[in-house]
This record gives sequence, structure tokens and C-alpha cells, in this order.
Amino acid sequence: MLNILDRLEEVLIASLMAAATLLIFVAVLHRYGTGVSFLYPYLIQIHLSWAQELCIYMFVWMAKFGAAYGVRTGIHVGVDVLVNQLSPTPRRYVVLFSLFCGALFTAVVGTMGLKFVLELAATDQVSADLEMPRWIVFSCVPAGSYLMCFRFLQVAWTFWKTGELPHHDESRVEGIDIEPPPQKAAR
Amino acid sequence: MTSAFIFGLLIALMLTGMPISIALGLTVLTFLYTMTQVPIEAVALKLFTGIENFEIMAIPFFILAGNFLTHGGVARRMIAFATSMVGHWYGGLGLAGVVACALFAAISGSSPATVVAIGAIILPAMVQQGFPKRFGAGVIATSGALGILIPPSIVMVIYSVATGGSIAIDPEGKRVLSASVGQLFMAGVVPGLILASMLGMTTFYRAWKNDYPRMPRATWAERITAFRRSVWGLLLIVIVLGGIYSGIFTPTEAAAMSAVYAFVIAVFVYRDMTLKDVPRVLLGSANMSAMILYIVTNAVLFSFLMTSEQIPQAMTNWITSSGLTWIEFLLFVNILLLVAGNVMEPTSIVLITAPILFPVAVRLGIHPVHLGILMTVNMEVGLCHPPVGLNLYVASGISRMGITELTIAVLPWLGTMLIFLILVTYIPEMSLWLPRLLGML
Repeated sequence: MLNILDRLEEVLIASLMAAATLLIFVAVLHRYGTGVSFLYPYLIQIHLSWAQELCIYMFVWMAKFGAAYGVRTGIHVGVDVLVNQLSPTPRRYVVLFSLFCGALFTAVVGTMGLKFVLELAATDQVSADLEMPRWIVFSCVPAGSYLMCFRFLQVAWTFWKTGELPHHDESRVEGIDIEPPPQKAAR
Repeated sequence: MTSAFIFGLLIALMLTGMPISIALGLTVLTFLYTMTQVPIEAVALKLFTGIENFEIMAIPFFILAGNFLTHGGVARRMIAFATSMVGHWYGGLGLAGVVACALFAAISGSSPATVVAIGAIILPAMVQQGFPKRFGAGVIATSGALGILIPPSIVMVIYSVATGGSIAIDPEGKRVLSASVGQLFMAGVVPGLILASMLGMTTFYRAWKNDYPRMPRATWAERITAFRRSVWGLLLIVIVLGGIYSGIFTPTEAAAMSAVYAFVIAVFVYRDMTLKDVPRVLLGSANMSAMILYIVTNAVLFSFLMTSEQIPQAMTNWITSSGLTWIEFLLFVNILLLVAGNVMEPTSIVLITAPILFPVAVRLGIHPVHLGILMTVNMEVGLCHPPVGLNLYVASGISRMGITELTIAVLPWLGTMLIFLILVTYIPEMSLWLPRLLGML
């Protein structure tokens, strides 16, 4: 069950990234294609004025769900200089505190967003170019925030059980093999 | 009083090690529920519309483009090209390391990735040739930071976005608009080249004094082959800068085009990765972009709060009435950013500080483009500044040297960077000359 959710999250954000890139690429080609005389009659019938708006919405969706995915991969970094100086027991509580702060913030934002979306759904506001109902566009805020809240709690639970935090390694580069250090580096 | 509360709470929350985006968001929420009359609805709306801005969307595209080309194969090509051009001078591989870092960093956009990719290949080769390990590690740790200044640069996009809505009044009382992404990219070119040459000169001088080994001079045929292999990656910079300057693309479109271009080069020309690797690159880029966009969303909330509490205006008035000159102000800015640059990552620093510093700077007669370049250079120095610059940690990982030893190793180059920072701070023309020459200012 959880695996399906994890997978779904990954597929969603990766496809949004690819789709948005292709969309803008095609829109630019289209703009210059209409300048070519023999293509003009065909291309002028296709309107891509909505491309920019769709791209923005795709990235907003990607950002909300990607932020939840990021909690799981530990990419949201903070200032950990001080915390890492603490001895294990206080550090444990400070880390848990900050994880619960994350859960609290995302829960509040999710609820705020949900109220807002419900109010919008009662109206018939549509977006400027796509004419899509605005509440559908904005529903990513409550959905993404609640998912993110869930992820924070999940990470907190794992940390409580095993003392391990997800860690994003910024210095991994494909095609580079760094031989492992002679002895295990002490953490 | 309110500003002291806001910043005190923000700093206290950040020191617990929670993500910076969460610290920003919680500060705003606490303030909203306890101390102000700003309607919650206005803030809720910002949550939705905060990143609905086509300019911001350049960030995910640039990250994607960089990730396609952040690969050991590309690093090897850049090193081969750099070595064939400068390897026979004093400094040999070290000098080639500086050039290779500059080229690779510009394309990949990530400092830590550059240190790893170039360092892991060139450091063992240098040690084998008889360079002290310290020398190599010092060169790579500092040169790896060059990427932030050489376009395309994400920090510059962030600066442009963060100051975009600010109301800033210059000394004559006219409203000044912030710098565009295109202006900043163009302005970064000259300082980027100067910094790369200065780091190169330091390398050259130290190698000449200690008589470190040099490479045999490459023939022109070798140089042309190495150039042909690396040129596909380098063309990315040309596409972005040329496309924006000539007006063929907007910056965001240029970013999308460069992402598609990088995909084609990585998969079909260089064949460093297969189509099977593409989903992984997409996911990694989405992860990184979402993190940055999440900080942007919360930073928008934060700067909305500051604007509604009129904090930037209050600060501007306070600083102008205290008779601070632009020289003293920029000194203060440099120190603030260097300290922050040590413990936080560049995006967050620019998002939090730029909306406050920008109106003050403009009132003191500082050009928005100049301030942008100056902040970018500070981010660069912060990355390799002891005790906790990120590049030092990454370099320590690949060279297996302790942080203390590395601190000593980077000193000559760090000193060079600090001198460069002073030059950039007090010679605005260094940043403004090229965009002005091209008629972009």
C-alpha cells in the first residue's frame, strides 16, 4: 500500500517535469515554425497560447508533491551546525521537535488550503487561458501539504525507532567511482 | 520591535536544524495568529499564487539541464580539453583543474557536484605526478564554486525573482526596477572570467615557486580533438546567453531549450547515459527543484509579511538617516552574507536577505545588477570558507583530508577570492561594463 503511494509520487513528479519541458520546447518550436512560410498554414491553426499557464501549473503541482517526496529523501536541509554538536540524547529531542514542527506547519497549511479550495469550488472561477476550474488547479495545495505532513510523521517515526534520518547526498555524480575509504568513516 | 521579534523567531527556529522553508513558514504563521491584523485569507492566497510566475520556472529547467550533463564522462572531456590548452604551463594539471572546474561548474550548476566530478578524476592524477595532495585539494575546493557566477546561474534567477516586486527608490527619488535574469547572466560573464584567471594565477605562481611538474605541450591536433569532444557541453552556455541576448528566447524558454539540448547531448551524442537512466535524472531534478520552489513559496510569504509590516522601508529610512555611506553598507552586506553563506545554502540566503537589502542598496545609489553580482560572489566564497563551507566537506570526502588540513590547503585561493570580492564590491564597472556595452542596461 505504502509502496504504491511512494511509486505514484515518484512517477507523478518525474512525468510532470518531462511534460513541462517538452511543452515549452514544442511551444517555442511552434512560435518559430509559424514564421516559416510553407508551415504557416498548418501551424497557425494550432494555438499554444495556454502553454505558459499549463507549464506553471504543472510545476506548481510538481513542487507540492515533490516537496513531500523531498521529506522522504531528506533533501530539505536546514542549519544543522549547532544540532550536530549536541550529545545524542538532546539531539534526538531537538530533531524530533523540528520534525513535528514540519508536520504542524504542513497540517496548518493543508487545512488552510482545503478551506480555500472548498470555498472556490462553490464559485465558478476559471483560470485565464486554460479555462480550467481554479479549485482543481489549487487542490494540489491541500493534497500536497497533507501528504507532506504524513511524510514528516513517517520520518519522525522511523527516527524514533531506528535513530536514522534520510540523508540526501549532494555530492553523488554518475560515472564517478570513488573507492570506499579504507576504514568506515566515523559518524 | 516587530522586526526584532520576526528575525529572532526565525533564527531560533532555524538553529534547531529544521528545514529553512519550514522555519520561514512557521515564523509567518506565528506572527499572523498572534500579532497582526493582516487577514489570513490574503496569506492563504499567497500560498497558491506565490510561485505562479513564469520567470521562476527557469529554475527547474536549469536544474534538469545541469543534471543531464553532471556526469563523469562530461568531466573527463572538460579535463582533457583544459589540460591540452594550459597543461604545459606552470601549474600543469592544477591549472587545468581550475579551467575544467569553471567549464564543468557552469554547465552542471552545482558546486559540490563539480568538486566531486573534477576532483575525483584530477586529484589522483595530480598526486601521481608528484603534486602535494594539499595543493590539488585547495585548487579544486575553491574552483568548484565558480559555477554560481558563470551563467546559467540559479542564484541569479532567484535574486531577480526575490527583488522583482520590491519598491525601491533611488537617491533622486525615482522608482528603480530590479535586474532581469538576462542582465544578471551577462553581468556575471566578466567577473566569472576574472575570478577564474585570478585563481589560475595563484595556482601558476605557487607552482612556479615550488617547481611542480608540468605536462608536455599538446599539439594543435590534440587540442582540436579535445575541443571537438567538449564543445557539445560548452554550447549549452552559448545557447542560453546567445538566445537571451538576441531575444530569441525568454530566460525560461532558454532554460527549457537547454534542458532538451542537454538531454540530446547526454543520450545521443555523448552516450554517457541511456534512455533507461532518464527517469532517474528526471526524478532527481524534480526533487531538487521542488525543494527550491518550496523555499521560494515560503519565502514569498515571509517577504509579504515583511512588506506589510513595512520592515524594508523602516530599515531604508534608518540607514539613510544614520548617514551610512554605500561603502560602509556594502562592507556590512559582505560580512553578513559571508557568515550566512557558511551555514545556509545560497538559495535561502538570497531569498531572505535580497528583499531587505535591495531597497536600501538602491537608496544608497547602488545598481541592482551590481548588488546581484555581489551577492552571488558572496555565496561563492561562503561555500569554500572555513569552518563549515560545503565545498570543504565535499573536498574532504574525496581527498580524505581532515577539515583542519583542508582549511590550510585552501588558504591561498581563499585569499584570492576575498581580494576578488573586494574588487567586485568596490568596482561596480566590473559587473556593469559588459551588459552596458551590449545595450542591456
